[in-house]
Amino acid sequence: MRTKTLTACAALLLLALLPEALLAQAADGTIQMRMYGDFPASLGGPRIAVWVAAQVHLFFAAFVLGVPMFAVVTEAIGIFGKEHKYDKLAKEFTRLLLVSYSATAIWGAILVFALITLYPGVWSYLAEIFAPSMWAYVGLFFFESFTLYLYYYGWERWHEGRAKLGHWTLGILLNIWGTAVMFIANSWLTFMMSPPAEVTPDTSPAMVQFWSAFANATWMPINIHRMIANVVFGGAIVGGYAAYRFLLSETEEERAHYDWMGYVGNLIAISALIVLPFAGYYLGREIYEFNQQMGMTMMGGFMSWLWIIQAFLIGVLFLAGNYYLWVGMGRIPGAERFQPYTKWMLMVLVIGVIVWATPNTMIANRAELTAMGGSYHPFLGVLGVMSAKNTAVNLMILTTFLSFLLYRRANKRAMVGWVRTGTQVQAAIFVITAAVVLFYGIYGYFVTAIVRIGFSVWQVLAVLFAIITVTAIDVRMMRGAESYGAIRWGQMPPRSQYALFILMVTFTWLMGLMGFARSGIRQHWHVWEVIRDTSEFAATPPLGYAAQIISVCVLIFLGLVAFIFWVGELAEKPIVTHVRKEPLAGEGHLAPAPAGD
Amino acid sequence: MWQTNLKIIGIVVGTLGLYTLVASSIPQVASEVPEELTFTSEVSTAELIAAGEQLYSGAGGCTTCHGTGMRAPNLLTDHASGGPIGQRCGGRAPGESCKLYLYRSLVEPAAHVVEGFPPMVFQARTFSDAQLWSMVAYLESQGGEVTVTADDIETSGEAGDAATSVTLEPGAGPAGAGGSLDARQLLQDQLCLGCHAIDGAGPPLGPSFDGIGSRLSAEEIRTAILNPGADASPGYEALIGVMPTTYGQTLSAAQLEAIVSYLASRN
Repeated sequence: MRTKTLTACAALLLLALLPEALLAQAADGTIQMRMYGDFPASLGGPRIAVWVAAQVHLFFAAFVLGVPMFAVVTEAIGIFGKEHKYDKLAKEFTRLLLVSYSATAIWGAILVFALITLYPGVWSYLAEIFAPSMWAYVGLFFFESFTLYLYYYGWERWHEGRAKLGHWTLGILLNIWGTAVMFIANSWLTFMMSPPAEVTPDTSPAMVQFWSAFANATWMPINIHRMIANVVFGGAIVGGYAAYRFLLSETEEERAHYDWMGYVGNLIAISALIVLPFAGYYLGREIYEFNQQMGMTMMGGFMSWLWIIQAFLIGVLFLAGNYYLWVGMGRIPGAERFQPYTKWMLMVLVIGVIVWATPNTMIANRAELTAMGGSYHPFLGVLGVMSAKNTAVNLMILTTFLSFLLYRRANKRAMVGWVRTGTQVQAAIFVITAAVVLFYGIYGYFVTAIVRIGFSVWQVLAVLFAIITVTAIDVRMMRGAESYGAIRWGQMPPRSQYALFILMVTFTWLMGLMGFARSGIRQHWHVWEVIRDTSEFAATPPLGYAAQIISVCVLIFLGLVAFIFWVGELAEKPIVTHVRKEPLAGEGHLAPAPAGD
Repeated sequence: MWQTNLKIIGIVVGTLGLYTLVASSIPQVASEVPEELTFTSEVSTAELIAAGEQLYSGAGGCTTCHGTGMRAPNLLTDHASGGPIGQRCGGRAPGESCKLYLYRSLVEPAAHVVEGFPPMVFQARTFSDAQLWSMVAYLESQGGEVTVTADDIETSGEAGDAATSVTLEPGAGPAGAGGSLDARQLLQDQLCLGCHAIDGAGPPLGPSFDGIGSRLSAEEIRTAILNPGADASPGYEALIGVMPTTYGQTLSAAQLEAIVSYLASRN
């Protein structure tokens, strides 16, 4: 709390001193606005300073915004499902959040100071337009801080009855404040990308309509995309934390607890990841609608290969996520009957990644065009199109869902009379969905682009339909199921935890890559077609350079996270649950028994 | 414990190293900043071509669409058996030289749309005349004769006038409409007729102006001019985003009302 208060005061003080920092007196006595500040070129110049500050701040912000979302849901399961172990888990999530909160604020302050001192012209312009929202932003921080401290420190005090419901409401409130804070910050950066049409280089910032600037074309798409991505990211970091604790566990109970926590983190991350592409597609579409040139630059211009890197990374995510589940099935009695399916699922995933990572647009010179015999590669050209890629990714999502389903059913024997029919119906839904996805994928080659784009909606809806209906059938079918045996939480080989580390690193790096994409499509504009970047660092760097900066940001973030979590552990013992020897009737894979029950 | 920590650090650093290596191994393309060009009256053809090539391949963003043959016609190579652009541009628009055809294609993208392709998305106003003419010279050199000279750059001054920023004087459109309140002249000068047909003639890219007064009210016409993406006419949904959104700045209030009144009267 002291850190946050000091940071906020320092920021306010700097704002108050702003005119002195920004302005210089010219020889004729007039006040001149300085556009850019100085930062050592040997450290990359001002652009790198702001880039690193912004990215590390965003990593922390995504974590502290994502964790409350699933902490509240987990606590709700504990309250309404009357499963105390989930309540303890929610508290442990919140402890991680608490220790990260200060770091988020510190990096936010670093970012603000970097912008003020290194890009005073741009900062002054944005501050004049968004001043009211900046004050609201600061105010919301106080609400968020107070709510978080009450939420965490009041956990044991308000642990049952109406007090518990009130406590849970604090968690909901925490999410509201956090979401509002994010929405405000998103308006500033999306304004830079998609300013309203009436804002031109000659428009004085004082004349810019506030709400028009705030709720600009890409504001809501970014809000939705980031909200979902925060959940994914939070789950991945939690999974990584649990993996670390698992590897260093000294008792069976600790190992069992962190094995479970890692599973839950992975479940959250991969489940939310399934819907994330749709939010990204919406954002991409809005960018195209706002400015086609920007959209084409993003997808077909100098940034086109960025999406190949993204495809590669998401391929790693799918493979690592599924691998973790398949290895995890080794600790579930009865799961060995599903083991033969693993290789087929792996085949689908690998082929899917290969297709998805195939490049489409290649910037070719005349010699290369002649060598290829045309604009497209004779073989890759067939695969490197959206028809093939949408098909591949939808089949990969379907396969991942199947992995979760098999994991869920691994140690259960359904006792309902309609189990055979129900299983056949589920299998039929899978087959029909895959057929629908493949049909539209192949048909897409024979129609115009505008029709083909519409097909992707049907593919997505088919997959979502399959997920919802198959899950609904499975839930009913597994009621009262017999168990082959309890999940042997803690009996996981270490390589499974390294898969969680790879997931954590990959999600973080992917987030950095997307940050580069969002900023990079502005190219040499601070505010698109309004304020041009006239500094020596105006050119947008190639992917290799960006990758180095992203890796540095990820290293800084993960290093700080490791330190912060270690500091958090000094003050409190981890919340550990005991492993129950015999499963209760009907108890599935959900969790080990809580300590003290 | 240290062994485990070292393994974890190894995994993390190894993964980061892999991603950095992969990203560094693919074609490295940067987005350059359009270089300001200042030519003297003795600028050579070779200098113009070199500057144009740099813009075409770099900051101009032309290769985003031109080069695949899917989004836009090939320019550097053959298209529809017409040869490269310098070879085929002379015969594209009757009465227009290759030079004028290419220049007009840049500053009035809707003026010459090749069949089978959508209108070009190119913001000529963000480039100076020197930059535009150097690109014309480069394109002319692709299979044709370069006829761009320093005189073209000094005398045009009509479109893409700003060197480094977008500055459109209220009431002065790309062709210098000045303060005219002649609605028909404004429609021409503001390039509306580059997409909208009138009196039974003109391109069908946007809804025809014939009978527009019976289809839309004055208020709807005004909204369509100021906020083109708000509500597309039936059948033109796919072209949302093509019509410029800057008429609110380029037209004065009087000019806007003159156009609205004129179109609203066309029943």
